[in-house]
Parts: sequence; C-alpha cells; structure tokens
Amino acid sequence: MVLKLPPGIKLEKEDDKIMTLNVGPQHPGSGHMRIIVKIDGDYIVSCDPDPGYVHRGEEKMAEYRNYITNIPHLERPVIHDSCNILYPYCLGVEEILGIEVPERAKYVRVIASELNRCVYTLYWLAIYGIFLGHSTMFMWPAGDRELLIDLLEKLSGARVTHAYFVPGGVRNDMPANFEDVCLRQINYFEKRIKQYDSIFYSNPILKSRTINTGVLGKKDAIRLGSTGSVLRASGVDFDIRKKEPYDVYDNLDFQTNVLKSGDSYARSKLPWLDMLESCRIIRNALEKIPKSGSVRVKLKPNPKAGNVETYKRVESGRGSLGMHIISNGKPEPYRVKISVGSFRNLICLPYLLKGEKLGNMPSVYWSLNYWPVEADR
Amino acid sequence: MNANIPNKVKTDIDGDKDNEIEKHDVDLPELEKDIANKLTDKFDTKIKVIFIKKNRIKVDTNKNNILEIAKFINQNLKFDHVESVSGVDYPDQNEIEVVYHLGSYDPSISNQILALSTRTIRETTPHPGFDRTRLPSLRDIFYSVEFHERECFEMLGVYFENHPDNRRLLLPEDWADLPPLRKDFKIKGR
Amino acid sequence: MSIIAPKFRLGYFIKSLLDNVFWIIILLTLVGIPTIQVALFFIDLPVIDGDLLTPFLALTWLADPSRTLPIVKTLMQTDFFKIAVFPGFGFAALLAAGTIFVERKLLAKLQLRVGPFYCGKIEGLLQLMGDGLKLISKEIIIPAKADKPIFWIAPLLFVGTAAAFISLIPVSPGWVIADLDVGLLAFFVIIGFFPIITVLSSWSANSKFPFIGGIRALHQMVSFEIPLILSLLGIVILTGSLNLSEIVESQYNYPWIIFMPIGAIVFFIAMLAELERIPFDLPEAESEIVAGWLTEFSGMMYGLVQLGSYLKLYAFAALFVVLFLGGWNGPMVIPPFPQEIITDGIELGPISVTVPGLPLFTPEMLNGTFWFTIKTVGVIFFILMPRGVFPRIRIDLLLHIGWYKLIGLAFVNIFISLSLLYAGVLGPGGMI
Repeated sequence: MVLKLPPGIKLEKEDDKIMTLNVGPQHPGSGHMRIIVKIDGDYIVSCDPDPGYVHRGEEKMAEYRNYITNIPHLERPVIHDSCNILYPYCLGVEEILGIEVPERAKYVRVIASELNRCVYTLYWLAIYGIFLGHSTMFMWPAGDRELLIDLLEKLSGARVTHAYFVPGGVRNDMPANFEDVCLRQINYFEKRIKQYDSIFYSNPILKSRTINTGVLGKKDAIRLGSTGSVLRASGVDFDIRKKEPYDVYDNLDFQTNVLKSGDSYARSKLPWLDMLESCRIIRNALEKIPKSGSVRVKLKPNPKAGNVETYKRVESGRGSLGMHIISNGKPEPYRVKISVGSFRNLICLPYLLKGEKLGNMPSVYWSLNYWPVEADR
Repeated sequence: MNANIPNKVKTDIDGDKDNEIEKHDVDLPELEKDIANKLTDKFDTKIKVIFIKKNRIKVDTNKNNILEIAKFINQNLKFDHVESVSGVDYPDQNEIEVVYHLGSYDPSISNQILALSTRTIRETTPHPGFDRTRLPSLRDIFYSVEFHERECFEMLGVYFENHPDNRRLLLPEDWADLPPLRKDFKIKGR
Repeated sequence: MSIIAPKFRLGYFIKSLLDNVFWIIILLTLVGIPTIQVALFFIDLPVIDGDLLTPFLALTWLADPSRTLPIVKTLMQTDFFKIAVFPGFGFAALLAAGTIFVERKLLAKLQLRVGPFYCGKIEGLLQLMGDGLKLISKEIIIPAKADKPIFWIAPLLFVGTAAAFISLIPVSPGWVIADLDVGLLAFFVIIGFFPIITVLSSWSANSKFPFIGGIRALHQMVSFEIPLILSLLGIVILTGSLNLSEIVESQYNYPWIIFMPIGAIVFFIAMLAELERIPFDLPEAESEIVAGWLTEFSGMMYGLVQLGSYLKLYAFAALFVVLFLGGWNGPMVIPPFPQEIITDGIELGPISVTVPGLPLFTPEMLNGTFWFTIKTVGVIFFILMPRGVFPRIRIDLLLHIGWYKLIGLAFVNIFISLSLLYAGVLGPGGMI
C-alpha cells in the first residue's frame, strides 16, 4: 500500500550536515508558535513557520453571535491591544447599520486606542528585550505598562480586556478628572520611555547585533505585503491613520515615523518612536475633545443589517488590521474575516531568516512585530 | 437564505452595471470611479462591478479570467499587495466565494481597497485538494497572498492550483473533519 | 489545586511531636541505659593523670577550654580543615551564596523591582536556601537516549574542577590549600578542563539544543583561554615566579594593575567569557537554544552545575585580586591584641574560667582575609553589573573580539611589561 500524501507535502531526503531544529511551541524564544529551522552550522538554510497552536476560530464564533455579543470575544486574539482590534469591527458595524458616532466618543476612542497601542508596544518591547538577553529591558517596560493600564482601568473598568468600544461609540464616558490624570501620567510616561534610548537603543552590543541583520528592502517589503512598523522601518510611508483617517485622526496633529534601513534595529526602534508619537496624539486629543456630550448612540436590542458587506481597517500596534463583515439581514453577521498585521508579517519570516545566523533568529523573529495569538485568531 | 447578496447589494447601495455607475455619477468619488472604469474598459464583460463606495471597490469575475485581471490590476493599477483573502461559503448557491482585498502602498491610491472576488464550485462532501473546489493561485502575481491562500485552503477546502505550498497552516495536522468555515460545520452546542 | 497538608490541625501536630518524644524516652530507658551499663562493665577505662577516666571526667575535660583550644588549633592546621572550611569550600560557598543574594537584590533594584522578599523575613535572606531545597526535592530526569554514566558524572566533574580551582587561591599569608610552585600553570590546566566537561555533558545528553550550546561553549572557552593566558604573562615576566603566594607578596608596595591596566582589562573580559556571564552567556542563550548545555539537566544536577559556576565565579574574582589587586596586602586595620590575652588568657563569665592561648588567628591573617574579601567582593560586583545593562552578544562578534582584539591587547601588555623589565624599572633588581 502506497501512502498517499496530501498535496504540497513532499518527503525529502536531506544531507546529514543539516540539522532540523523545532523552535517552539515549548521553546522560550518562540511564543505560541513553532518555527521549523534547518541549520547548516550556524547558518539557517530554511525556515518554515508553523502557527496555529492558539487558533480559536474567532471567525467561526462570530457567525453564531449577534453584533453586540461579538464584542467581548473578538478582542481575545490580542488582549493587550483589545481596543484596536475592536476598532474596525465597530467601524464596520456602524457602517452597515448606518450609525453616526457622537463627536466626543470619537475622541475618547482615539485616546483609548492610542493608550492601548502603547500598552501593546511596551509588552512587545519587553519581550524583545528578553529575547536579546537584556533583562532590564524586560522589567522596565513591564513596569511602565502599569501606568497606562491604570489609565485604561479608570476609563473602561478592566485592566486588560476592556471591551470598551461598542458599535455606536464607547461603553461609558470618561470619569471625572480623567483628563488631568491622563495628562500627568502621559507626561511622566513620555519622560520614562525616553530613558529607553540610553539603556537599549544606544547600547553598542544591541546595535552590533541588530544593525544590518534581517534587512528587508523597500521593494521586498511592498512585495511581501508587510504592514505596520515593519513596512515603515523599510522606508514606506504608510500609516492608515494618515492615509485613510478614521474617526478624528484627520483633525489631530501627528506625523508618521519612517526609517530607511529596514533592519532589525529599525524595526525595533520604530514602535518606540510610535509610542512617543502616541503621547503627542493623546495630548492633542485631550485638548480638542468636546467638553461634554453623549458618547454612545443606543442601538436597538438586536440590530439587523441589510445585505451589505464592508471592509474597514485601522492602524493597530502591529499594522493594518482589517475586518471584512458580510451581513445577510440576520442579527448575526454572515461572515467576519479578520485580517491582522501579524499574519501578514509572518510571510517575511522565512524570507528574512534564510541565510541568517542562528543567533539572529530571536531578534529578527520578534522584530517583525508578530503576535502569535493574533495571527492564529 | 441569502441567495443573491451581490444583486441586492447592487440595487441597495450602489451601481453594478456601467449605466448604473453613470447614474450615480454625482455621488461617486472620482478616484474610485476612475479605477472601476479602467477595469471595465479593459475587460468589459469579463468583469462585474459589484459596488463602488468611498475608498472601496468590489469587482466580481469568473475564475477563468482572474489571473489575467489580477495581472492587469497589479501592473497597470498599482495595487501591489493583498490585505486579506476571505473565503465565504454560500451553500444555497452551491458556491464558495473568495474575496481578495487588494491594497496599494503607492501614495496616490493608498487609501483604496479593491476587492476582487471570484467563485468556485462547492462540493457537498468535500475532499480538500482532490475535488472540484479549485481556483488558480494568485501567488505569482501577488507574492503576499501565500499564507492567506493556505489559510483559505484549510478553512474552506479551496485548492489553489500552482500554489507552491498548499499545506495546512493553522489547523492541526490530524484534522479530519469538514473544513471549519463551511456553513455545514456546526459549532457544538449552538 | 494542590494542598500541602490536607487535614492539618495544630493539635494533631503537637500530639505527633509528643508521641515521638514519649517513645524516644521509653526506648532510651529500656534499651539505651542497660546497653551503656553492660558496655561499661566490660571496658577497661584508662587512667590519665592518676584519675580513672570516667565518662563524667571526659565530659568535664570537653568543657575545659585550656584542654580543647590546643586541639582546635591543631585541627586548624590540618589539610582537612583547609579544604573543607576556611580557605577552601566553606569560605568559597559562603561568598558564593552572598554573591547570589547580592546579585538578585542588585539586579532587582536596577530593574525597579523588589527581588526576593518573603523567604527569611529580612529581605529574602533565605531565598537561596529555599531554592536549594526545591532543587534537592526535584525529580532528576535523564533523557532516554542519553549516555548515562557521562551524563551523571558531568555535574560532579564540573563542581570538582571548580573546587580544584579554589584550592590554588591564597587567601592570606600561609592560608592556601595547595601552595604550588607552578600555581599559575596549574590554573591554566584547570581552566582547560571546563570546555571538556561542557562538551562531554552536552554530547552525552544526546539532544540538539545542549549540543549546540556545548559547541558554543567550546568555541567560546577555547578562544578566550588564549588571551586569558597571554594577559597573565606580563605578571610572570615581572615577578619571575609562577607561585601565586609569591605573586601576592611581590605586590606589597603596589598592585600590578597600576602598571598593567591593559592586561587587567583583557583578563577581566576573558574572565567574563570564561564564566559565561552576561553579555557572554551564549552557551545558555535562552531565546535561541533554550538553556544551552544545561537544557537536559534537572533537579540537583542543575543545582550542582549552578553551584560549580558560582564557585568558579568566586575563584576567578579571587584570582583577579591575587594577580592584579595585590591579594591580601592592605593597610593594617585589625588592632594588635593586648599582650595579657596571649599570655594569661581572658576571664570568662561568672564562673571565672581563665582561657589562655585564646586568639586562634594572628592579626596578620585576619587583616589579610579582610582585605582579600573586600577586594573579591568588589570584583564580583563588577562581574555582576553588566547583567543589568547589556544584552547578549552574538557568537561571531564574540569570537571576533576574542581573536582579533583581546589577543592583540594581550601582546601590547606583554611588550609593556618587557620594556619595564629591560628598562630596569620593575622586576627582579628593578628600581622600585
């Protein structure tokens, strides 16, 4: 009896010189995924990422719940960035239900979204630090993250899984004197993350390890369809907040950070620059926010949309985050497709790791701003 | 249940055929209309414009023409990457739709998303990779489509011909059930 | 949910203690006392100083300091005491334990955390003991395809080699376990063993990540041994001796670091690499190769390797002190003992027992130990500091540093010392 292999899978005979390493899922340097790495000496000859260890079928689950009950579970893929992953869902549902969001709610959304982006980036940065063996860089961002988590707790009542954005606005208004507390925390936070430069980004060993490793050129970044910080570190000026402004981003004063070199160092530095920019956005939004007004349009208990489909995207901590929602006139969406930046950046990994040294694997892998749970959905 | 989403969309929201686009001329944004017109000029009957909204265009095409159209979109319209590939199962029409959301990093049209959709036959008893549920892969034209198409293959059983690496991506290796995003795969307890 | 003591009640606990005490008393009275009486009936007790040595008399002598102190003093001169307690294992292990505690607290303060806090009430003093108990109580798992004898013996060899290293260190005048004439050569031999042990253990584990870690360790240690050895040649040239005690004595006026700062820097960097400390902890690079050559060790085997590496850390820091910082030399800080203590002894307590010959150690020895400890702790502090500041370096950059930069600097150091020697400034018969 001949074993019939599924299409695409080949039995291969390999040279003994080449060693196959299973990096993950129980490896400290992989996260919830597996990278099958083949090495020849210290050089990686091929790399095959194998995600899916935390696949939860969010898209399938979303087909069974109505537009409101979808909110808390759709933020699960990336709980550290839960506001941003709910953002395109809310925008999409608002479009297909035809809801106009109040002005104040838009500003509150922007503030919460930027705070949450910083929370995510700090977590990511902490893990980037420990992947490079820099334990102080693990502890500092993890500690400074508390500042912003406290703010978000004041805002939404939950520390990590906020479920704060709802179609039609935000769940509740900002508490009294939130503006002052937020401004104070953000000022301190900005002062604090500027210190990361001296301990981490100016560190000579870090520079020697990451500069000119895993270089993703501008053309390749576009061809591979990378997004977010990976794309901007390669010199492409693309930020959805600027290019296709949603809510009130066109009223706010900020700029897009672009670095030219496209190596691991640029990819690791860009989210940090974005955090400084986020502080600016938050301060700006706190200035411009309408002092009073409603923050939520009440929906009908079980809203139904017509036969429409929509694709909305926002800039999350990991790049473009799009949701394709198809409605067929029932209370539940017919199909929700979540297209996440992590999943789109994953394709760069085999491309970048081929020919790299094994020691560069953690720094290149994590500099892709990849969040395994989000990519698996 | 939703026998003809595309038809209703075209009547409800925006224009579908060329004359209807003319009718909605005032409402429609300039850039989007321009792109849609370029497409319809080139492949007039092979392509069907489903809707044109602000920053969004959706066109539908037959699976035999999709490679040609994708090549044209890539080379002449400057759409250079794929944002998402969503497969949608329509058991009533016995079809599976695959929607490619094409984006561009070119500054002039970077706010645009062109949704290119195509449909293939749906088998009632799927045997992924060996049945008639097949589409040509766009991987040679849009390199970034590789993992998206792998995901679509395992989630809906759509086999992409000429895809270099049609393996499982997210599902476990021993998954022997239906492709999970088909409508006849029911979640337990629901 | 795990419960340590499912039905714990204080009453039961006290009852069990009392039960044990009761049975011990019963057994002693019924069995122990008759046994002793029967034994004494048959044994001829010796007559010492005209007294029959009864057990009562023996106990009296044990409590008499004038009789026990000479015994203690003789004991302190034996090799066993030196190996087990003072310049040897006990002293080193105490310093190593202190090192671990300081490292944890220091790193925690640097990273804005608290560090060990609860175990031992005061600032987590007993955390290390808790960790040790945990490691001892853990199951030792051996990989199925491992080469078992070598895998078992590798941690023991590692600790043994580290301990052999310690035996060469002169702590204060005369207090050294092995005062070899070729002490420095012995040191070179001993550090040559570590890569062999590492490769043996990683090979015998028969697993991929330990193998890569072992090969890395081999590369790293071998390539850094050369600058390590070369950086010490300057001292040998100027001192004209390989004996570590003589090297310390030669630094009575000035430590060698004044004349050979380059050699000291090269030695320090090579030392960090030999010790596999951050930023050179490539053989244990967590995010790349799990834990390197330590991956398959579990339980107390891992604990032994850690103990060995901290002993090695102490030994290297002590060697740096001995070679570059003047060892035990330092200003006299211990006041001289009053004469009457040495001759008459001191009077102790309400019973007024006179204890002659009391100072067990000479002031010179105490002073030497004091300065040696201070210097060693300082060097250890400098070895620990980079952990909070630097990320891990990559293997090719590391080897580049070793082969290109450090060896060159080591030669510069040799030339400096040679020119000092031939100019007649330093060395045997020099001006200073």
